[in-house]
Amino acid sequence: MPSDARKVALSYIDGYSTCDYCLGTLHMNKKPPVRKFLESLSKFLGMDFAILTNGCREAKFAIMHSIASPGDTIVIDANKHYTSLVAAERAGLRTYEVPTTGYPEFKVLPQAYAEAFEAIRRETGRPPALALLTHVDWLYGNLSDARAVGKICKEYGIPFLLNTAYSSGRMPIDGKELMADFITCSGHKSWASGAGTIGILALSEEWIGRVLRPSRGYSLKPIEILGCSARGSSTLALMASFPHVKERVGHWEEEVSKARWFSEKMESLGGIVQLGEKPHNHDLLRFEAPALDRIAKVHPRRGFFLYEELLKRGIVGIKPGRTRSFELSTYGLSRDQLSYVIDAFREILKTYG
Amino acid sequence: MGEKLVKEVFEALFALEDIREILRRTAPFHRFTDEERALAKASIERAKKAIEAIEEELQP
Repeated sequence: MPSDARKVALSYIDGYSTCDYCLGTLHMNKKPPVRKFLESLSKFLGMDFAILTNGCREAKFAIMHSIASPGDTIVIDANKHYTSLVAAERAGLRTYEVPTTGYPEFKVLPQAYAEAFEAIRRETGRPPALALLTHVDWLYGNLSDARAVGKICKEYGIPFLLNTAYSSGRMPIDGKELMADFITCSGHKSWASGAGTIGILALSEEWIGRVLRPSRGYSLKPIEILGCSARGSSTLALMASFPHVKERVGHWEEEVSKARWFSEKMESLGGIVQLGEKPHNHDLLRFEAPALDRIAKVHPRRGFFLYEELLKRGIVGIKPGRTRSFELSTYGLSRDQLSYVIDAFREILKTYG
Repeated sequence: MGEKLVKEVFEALFALEDIREILRRTAPFHRFTDEERALAKASIERAKKAIEAIEEELQP
């Protein structure tokens, strides 16, 4: 989160701080300029309209709950974030999972969506109500071919929800180009935002009336976000981070280059293997580390030794207790900082290996 | 008095936030370049100036 956004968050930390000049609902407000921000935001994502939600998961649920009816089937990928399944469960939907290619790459292949659509039609007599693709998954950092999935969804007439929790805000995204009907985003994950959680629901024009339908009793309040959403500092932090995000997505290739370099260096230490697609296309990396796991089996602190050794060296980010496999992100770190991390792993392996 | 006082409090907080930004960028060793050192010094001066203004405002 850039310092400007932290300053804004501090200024707007009080509850309901966006609401002094409310025009009916958050996304309509002019002071602060939320409405203007959302117009820019939707253009930035290549979509027609966008609103804010309390998180990406809330955005996914809003879409599922509007587009599908209880008992309908939707297609999700096996690398989905758990909240995609939870949102579907809450909406009373059945899910059909598109498998990955398995160990070691765990890729989601676009053609598997077509196969899923056919299978669902055979089993249920009707097509799925929605297809969700996790653009970049949280497990392996695989960047799936969203455009190819979007094309298949268009061919079959299935609405396409692209979950960009780990992609938009880091890399350029054009929803129209990817043929997405809906894009969901996570402000606190990938938009340099904070001061709470915040999500973005962006959609194409044809779905606005359905997904953003208002309450019968309160004509300005969209029912899928229970009338209003992130009405405080998280919205202002996202707005303040936006110029920074617009600039940084232009450096995405460098982030991918750093991630690939880091992965290569980690693997060269021996006993550490990067899982997921290679060459990798994202900063989120998952490593399988039998060398570290062997140490954990005999170390007095067991699996916690790795977290503690890294913490001693001023390095945080890996979950405590993890040694057999762990995830990390190289995003925004300099090559010097990444070299320092590599050196730390080298030293740990040398000391205990 | 109130408005100026509040303004100076935020000025001090924001100046310290700028130092925090440099610390985040230079983690974990915080070895500053000459430019970063100059920026940190300028932020400290801004914070000091704002605190002095706060003290003055709080004089009876």
